[in-house]
This record gives sequence, C-alpha cells and structure tokens, in this order.
Amino acid sequence: MSTNETVGDRLDVARTELTATQIAAGLAFGTAIVFALMFVQEPLVHESMHNFRHAAGITCH
Amino acid sequence: MIAEYLRRGVAAGAVAGVAYGLYMTLVGNPLSSSVEHAARDHAGNAHGSGGLVSEMTTAAVSAGSGLLWAVLLGGVFAVALYLLEPAIPGSAAVRSYVLAGAGFLTVSGVPWLALPPAAPGAVHQYPIGLRMRAYVGLAVLGAITATAAVLAYKRGARRHVGLGIVAGAAPILVIAAVLTLATPTVTTYPNHPMDLVAAYQGLTVLTQAGIWLLIAGTFNALRRRESEYRNGPTRTTDDALVGGGP
Repeated sequence: MSTNETVGDRLDVARTELTATQIAAGLAFGTAIVFALMFVQEPLVHESMHNFRHAAGITCH
Repeated sequence: MIAEYLRRGVAAGAVAGVAYGLYMTLVGNPLSSSVEHAARDHAGNAHGSGGLVSEMTTAAVSAGSGLLWAVLLGGVFAVALYLLEPAIPGSAAVRSYVLAGAGFLTVSGVPWLALPPAAPGAVHQYPIGLRMRAYVGLAVLGAITATAAVLAYKRGARRHVGLGIVAGAAPILVIAAVLTLATPTVTTYPNHPMDLVAAYQGLTVLTQAGIWLLIAGTFNALRRRESEYRNGPTRTTDDALVGGGP
C-alpha cells in the first residue's frame, strides 16, 4: 500500500479486480438487506422485526 | 484487494452481530416488550404489535435482524474503507475508527438529532412516508457532515494537530446545534415516564455506537493478524519458492 495512493486509484483497482456482474450482485444484495431491515412496511415482516427496529433506533418504523 | 477487505469486514460484522444479537436476546427484546406493555397498560392500546405474530417470533426475528444488521454495516464499512482509505488521515488503525465514526454519524447519529430513536409505544407526529424521506435526507446530511469534519481536520492539522481536532469537531457541533434547535418534536410519549424513554434511547445510542466500534476494532485485529501471518513463516517460504523458480 503506497502512501500517495488516491481514492481514484482504489476505484480503478476495484474496477479491474471485479466484473460488472460482481459489482451489480454486491449492490443488489446490500440494497435488499437495507430495504428489508429499514424500509419494508409490510405488516408481517414489520411486526416480527418490531423489537429490533425499536432497539436499534431504526427511524422508518 | 477489495475482496480481502470485504471478507474482513463481513467477519468483523459477524463478530459485532453475534454480540448485538446476544444484546437483543438478553436486553433488547425483554426491555422493548416491557416498555411496550407498560405504555399499553397505561393507555389502553398504543402503536405496536397488534398480535399479528407471536412475541416469540418477534424476539427470534429481532435477534436475527440484529445479527444481519451488523453484518451489513461491516460489509458497507469494508467497501467504504477500501475506497476512502487514501482520503482519511491517520495510521491504518486510526483510519478504521475515523470511518466507523463517520458511518455512525451517517446511519444513526445525525438522523437521530431530528428523528430520535423511538421507544415502543411512542406516538408519531408525522406519517411514515414523510419520516422515511426525512431519514434519507438526514443520512445524506450526516455523510456531508462527516466529510466536512475530515476535510476541516486535514486543513487544521497542517498547522497543528490540536487545531485540526478543533476544526474537525466544528462541523459536527454546528449540525448538532442546528438540528437540535431547528427541528420540531416528532415523537411524543404521553404514556411513558420520561426517564424510561431517556434510558431506552441512551441504550440505543450506546449499542449502535458499540457496533461500529466493534466492527472497526475487529477489522483492525484481523488485518494485523493477517499481516503478521504473511510476514511470518509463510513469507520466507514464498520467497524461497520464488527464488527457487525458473
């Protein structure tokens, strides 16, 4: 790890190391979890995570 | 290299997640239920579990969600660290903690200044759609605040480290003051003793901050261990192998 590396370099390295599919899969996976834990309002899902949402201070409750 | 970061981040998230899942099981679930019941006994029926799923299911899913939550934060932390590390000041270990602090400010800290964590049985003054949009906006504001703090620190630290710390704290304090003073009350607690609500919220803040701290700490420990391992006996073997090759 060189000291004068920049954020741009890191982006470039990541782009050569990962395929577009891998990036898309990672993003989709993350979005799905965020959505399930923070934003889903469907009553059954919502109810069963009730304590977690309160205890973790999730706003979208 | 990004895969290595992600692996470490998810492992660190799992460590924090097991701890947080235990916390949910031992403290979060029973406490949430009792606060909820206390409020409901007092009020007839407040917002909350209307009996759609059993309390046991709620407890199990909540503990599992706690684990998943920390794994998610660990993964996001790792990818962000990989990309932003060059822009964050300090040693490798310090950078992790700076980023964990920025993550806490973005995901929880700044949004909570306007939308404080709600104890069970809270009465919301605004509809859910509006609160969601406000949350997303506040999370963006949190990210901007954290970025401003890091940039201000870097500027100030050129002259003196102490000056850097003061400059870095300034954006956070300004945003905290403005949000605290300028935003309306979004939740009321007609049926709760106020110190119970304060204790509940305090626990929420502490445990979420704890998750970030544990993720950064574990990530650093894993990185240290792996680099020691690499620079230890395997290094010489690798060199010997390379030296012996054609």
